[in-house]
Amino acid sequence: MESAETKTKKPRIAIVNLASCEGCQLALLDLGEKFINFANNVELVDLKFLEDEKNSREKIDMAFVEGSPMSEAEKKTLLQLREKSKLLIVLGNCAAMGGVPEISNYREQKQTAKHTYRYIHGIKNEPIQEVDNFVKVDFTFPGCPISAEEFMEYFPMLWESLEDGQDLPKIPDKSVCVECKEKGIRCYLLDGKPCFGSMILGGCSAVCPSAGLMCQGCRGLRPGANVKNISKGLKNMMTEEEFENVAEIYGLRDDIEAKEKIMPL
Amino acid sequence: MNNININHIRRIEGHTGFLASVINGDVKSAKMAMRGRGRLIEGVLIGRHYQDMPVIAERICGICSVAHNIASIKAVEDAMQIKVSEETGKLRKAMMCGHFINSHAMHLFFITLSDLLDIENDLKLAEEYSEETAMALKIREYGMEIIKTIGGRAIHPIANEVGGFKKVPSEEEIKNLIMQGEELLPMALKLSEFLKKIKMPDFSRPTEYICLEKKGEYLACDGDVVSNKGLHVHADNLKNKFHEFQRPKEILKRTEGDGKSSYMVGAIARINNQSDKLSMCARKYLESLNFKLPDYNPFHNILYQMVEIIHCIETSVKLMKELAHADMQNALTKEFVFQEGSVNVAVESPRGTLYYWVDVDGQGFIKNVNIITPTAQFLTHMEDDVAAFVSGTAEKDKKQMEKKMRAFIRAYDPCVNCAAH
Repeated sequence: MESAETKTKKPRIAIVNLASCEGCQLALLDLGEKFINFANNVELVDLKFLEDEKNSREKIDMAFVEGSPMSEAEKKTLLQLREKSKLLIVLGNCAAMGGVPEISNYREQKQTAKHTYRYIHGIKNEPIQEVDNFVKVDFTFPGCPISAEEFMEYFPMLWESLEDGQDLPKIPDKSVCVECKEKGIRCYLLDGKPCFGSMILGGCSAVCPSAGLMCQGCRGLRPGANVKNISKGLKNMMTEEEFENVAEIYGLRDDIEAKEKIMPL
Repeated sequence: MNNININHIRRIEGHTGFLASVINGDVKSAKMAMRGRGRLIEGVLIGRHYQDMPVIAERICGICSVAHNIASIKAVEDAMQIKVSEETGKLRKAMMCGHFINSHAMHLFFITLSDLLDIENDLKLAEEYSEETAMALKIREYGMEIIKTIGGRAIHPIANEVGGFKKVPSEEEIKNLIMQGEELLPMALKLSEFLKKIKMPDFSRPTEYICLEKKGEYLACDGDVVSNKGLHVHADNLKNKFHEFQRPKEILKRTEGDGKSSYMVGAIARINNQSDKLSMCARKYLESLNFKLPDYNPFHNILYQMVEIIHCIETSVKLMKELAHADMQNALTKEFVFQEGSVNVAVESPRGTLYYWVDVDGQGFIKNVNIITPTAQFLTHMEDDVAAFVSGTAEKDKKQMEKKMRAFIRAYDPCVNCAAH
């Protein structure tokens, strides 16, 4: 009886927005009919549920978080969400790596706020910290915005691993270069133009190189990349400052610097 | 004193709550309440190279990314005195049409319709009105397809840059868009007839409507800022007429006019000021609505968005037909020389006029930038309208009042991500 119930059980999911442009959620909505079908096959949990202590015993199967927490209220939401969720999954570059707002981490903090706002009193201006600084993250959908196709591909695997207690899926450790090759896009490096693609996790169909823009790394470093060598090579094509500037756009700079410090074996 | 505190309004772009102090059904004050810090996008842009401007600026908002992409690029080009080809201009206009179609269809159908039809949520709406939902989805798809074909991606487009395009669509892709657009028009007209039958709340409050005016163009990317109250000024001189301000403790930014009064932008403002510039089918549909202009009912904004969807389908097809015979190589970015300079530009975006003021130095780095979004402009107006609307309904029940306020705010189409960037 109980197993039959679990078999037909719809996953209880919550989609939560922290500070972000909401482009990742929009990428899902943009699936149109596919998204409506998806939404009909899950139980979408109302956010009010989080604040309602009476429901605390009821778990959320999968919580999806977009953006990074920038206020005390958002931090609290995130902690509550983690407590109630079996899996906490982040959506996109802001949640995973800090996104464009993280550029302010590399600046004099007060200056950035002072420029944007006249009254900075009461405006929290702490450095941007990604979701995994506050809670454990079980899976990351990378990208700015996420690839909705990738979401639809991995969602059933995540649900399955939760139901059957299997290992969580992993996005294959392939670089963006693999996808450029598949799509027949001429390598930027061959023309002496810089591109971050070789150290970045593929899965985006090389959408930027296809449209004429070098990979700027929104999907983050791939685990197997020899970051030290690749960035050394790139710095022959661009100045240290240019390299840093590109790496700052999607919050990649701190990750690269951490890898550069590690001595090769 | 009875306080209504709506913690979070679902189904609008961004996070916001709405506080209203209610005394015996009379709303004395209403204001948007935002939590958190802004993402400080303007501060982040300072010191960056001009090439990063659209990449970072468009990430202010997922749904409005095309408007920010186009406006930020135009601001840098004008400041640095870079001229672009006619083909580039047309591709950008077509992309903006795609943005209007996509954004308006999302708002009028998936954000407000369930309120107007008193349906619990969009999934139930899709079930009960499956045929109409399919049409609305098709319309959105076409809008996204234009952006994707020209910009390389539907959200946060890539190919458009300072000086032109990194990549241009092929002849075949342009022909496909023409075909899709022509097929879509009858469907959009059918959906527009359905919308016409929906009863809109009766509410009206005379106000000032502001939009861009340019000869022969309904949706302008430059030109003069005009209003139904006689305002007529070039975008570059606007600083003397309007100013952006921030209230202590708020992270939203607002604007106010000379007379310190609130004003409205967006579809309802454009229709009121320049409906004579609409394309043929759009004008016919507008006439069939039988609304007397000036029209001060903010709920009609939804129908005016439908008028603009029709206008943008027709306009995009027209632009594509012109581009099908043009040399698209002209739209590719060529080498250019640039100068330092600063400028204030304005473009019409779905929610209203979007202003970018930018100052670029001789090396091409951003010295200063200020972005005034449509929502920042109509926020105070919305609050004034909500107060008047809820008071006028003589609703005494707190829950009902809250429901009406939520629905009203959603009908207004605020984009809080844009307002608090």
